[in-house]
Amino acid sequence: MRFLLTHAVSHWAEQTPDHPAIRYSGQELTFAELENHSNLLANTLIQLGLKRGERVGIFMNKGLESAVAIYGIMKAGGAYVPLDPFAPVARIGYVINDCGIRFVISKEIKREQIAQILAEPSTLEFVIGIAEPDGLPVQCVSWEQVYTAPSQSPELHLTEQDLAYILYTSGSTGVPKGIMHTHRSGLSFAEWAAETYGLRQSDRVSNHAPLHFDLSTFDYFASAIAGATTVIVPEALTKFPTNLANLMEQERISVWYSVPFALIQLMERGAIQNRDLSALRWILFAGEVFPTKHLRRLMSMFPSIRFSNLYGPTETNVCTYYHVEQIPPDTDETIPIGLPCANVEDLVVDLDDHPVPPGEVGELLIRGGVVMKGYWGQPEKTANGFYKRSAFGHFEDVFYRTGDLVQLDAQGNYRYLGRKDRQIKTRGYRVELDEIEVALLSHENVQEAAAYPVPDNQGSNLIEAAVIPKDNRDLEESDLVEHISRRLPPYAVPARINIMTDFPRTSTGKINRRELQERAAEKMSQ
Amino acid sequence: MDRKAILTEYVKNEILRNKNAQLDENEDLLSSGILDSLAILQLVAYIDKTFKIQVPDEDVVYENFKSINTLVGYLQQY
Repeated sequence: MRFLLTHAVSHWAEQTPDHPAIRYSGQELTFAELENHSNLLANTLIQLGLKRGERVGIFMNKGLESAVAIYGIMKAGGAYVPLDPFAPVARIGYVINDCGIRFVISKEIKREQIAQILAEPSTLEFVIGIAEPDGLPVQCVSWEQVYTAPSQSPELHLTEQDLAYILYTSGSTGVPKGIMHTHRSGLSFAEWAAETYGLRQSDRVSNHAPLHFDLSTFDYFASAIAGATTVIVPEALTKFPTNLANLMEQERISVWYSVPFALIQLMERGAIQNRDLSALRWILFAGEVFPTKHLRRLMSMFPSIRFSNLYGPTETNVCTYYHVEQIPPDTDETIPIGLPCANVEDLVVDLDDHPVPPGEVGELLIRGGVVMKGYWGQPEKTANGFYKRSAFGHFEDVFYRTGDLVQLDAQGNYRYLGRKDRQIKTRGYRVELDEIEVALLSHENVQEAAAYPVPDNQGSNLIEAAVIPKDNRDLEESDLVEHISRRLPPYAVPARINIMTDFPRTSTGKINRRELQERAAEKMSQ
Repeated sequence: MDRKAILTEYVKNEILRNKNAQLDENEDLLSSGILDSLAILQLVAYIDKTFKIQVPDEDVVYENFKSINTLVGYLQQY
């Protein structure tokens, strides 16, 4: 039976123990080794007192240990919470306290940041991956000690309903929110994906996305179902297209999944057309619209590779998909988001939650196994995020409100039209503009703040902001950049912050963000 | 021309956008998250404009941009 995300690894550890499960920078773990190391970590956590359903942070740069952490935590009955290794410590500290994290899996190099986190009140009690506390007010367990733990599989009586992972994402009220996924919702996606893309044991699936992005669940869990090898891309290489193209060739990646931005960079700066990518058979992309002209070019470079557009908010992982047909040379129509995945129900409703006739614009609602359990510690936001349709008298079908506006086209495919709210994508990252405004307003010298997207001519957005200082106080852009960088991840820091004496206003006196946006776009195109 | 000093100032002022930042010449610019894809592009453009050196795409690799010192070492051939 397979009802937990850990079952696939245990299965292949038995069937093909010596087959590589994870690769990183030339090193690898076989399925037997991954199973064994996960058991060691799980038993260590259980011995230290981890309880079923507890959240365990993963706070380190990528490596073979990333996979050990993911599976070890789940085998111990916990849910893994990836903490962005590049986010400011204040944000990490917030997430740790928000979901009551007592245990974190980390590395020595993170000691300084962990010390800063512990300088504030924190729920953190145990750090796995650091040998000696040396003044840190927590219990430390080194990886060497982990490897001396009992090695038999914990065999806890877990179910598919148990929490598997929580992914934190930008929140519009200024603090991030945790999206809770169970083994059931994780597997619903991973199984669909392994089947749809025909994953098999000989595949080598890249892991480009950070662990806190749900694209990574394909890289690890769909791959594990097939008994394939997950090839982790070191973070440094994700910033250098030449290095990245080299890795794709050397590691003979057969299935690639990333945001469009990474693929565009590979084309523009990575000389990818000069590489031997004969092993690559699928390129999957998600997170943002892939500009048609760029996709057309990429597809023409690699006519034997199949391309697929995957769509879905983190709350539902992937809920619709579209295998891209050859794109005619004269069209600039955006790529459709396609059809609902198997086992997913779609509903499009108007502002009053009434289903719209096919072909009309409305908000996409999604029902199915892939849907999240809810937002951690946010009963009101959770309730507001769902729509309930009455069924069989007094029962209810529960749908997640994606907040995305869609329209069915003549071919029966969904087209993405935009957001209902102030959430935007920048280079594939999801950002709530309101979260940036809240962060700016928290600066003592800021009177008013506005954040808005400016198209970057690559199909994505840059974020800009404008600020009015209090009482004509002295305020410099660098002050605000520093202030924000201590609160938000790097991709959410505005590319430019304009200090102004007043904002354009609407007739009711509200900030006219659209006007600010248009002025910025004009400036950009000059 | 002290390339090391010039590059350090540039990274502090334009990329970190914090004149008071501490930036060690051997600090790993990637692991610390200082350089992202956009910043690397900016840096390459700056090197072109300031030192009149056009770094070829195939040399824009992690091995050459790891730290200020590594970068200065790479640029010595020009």
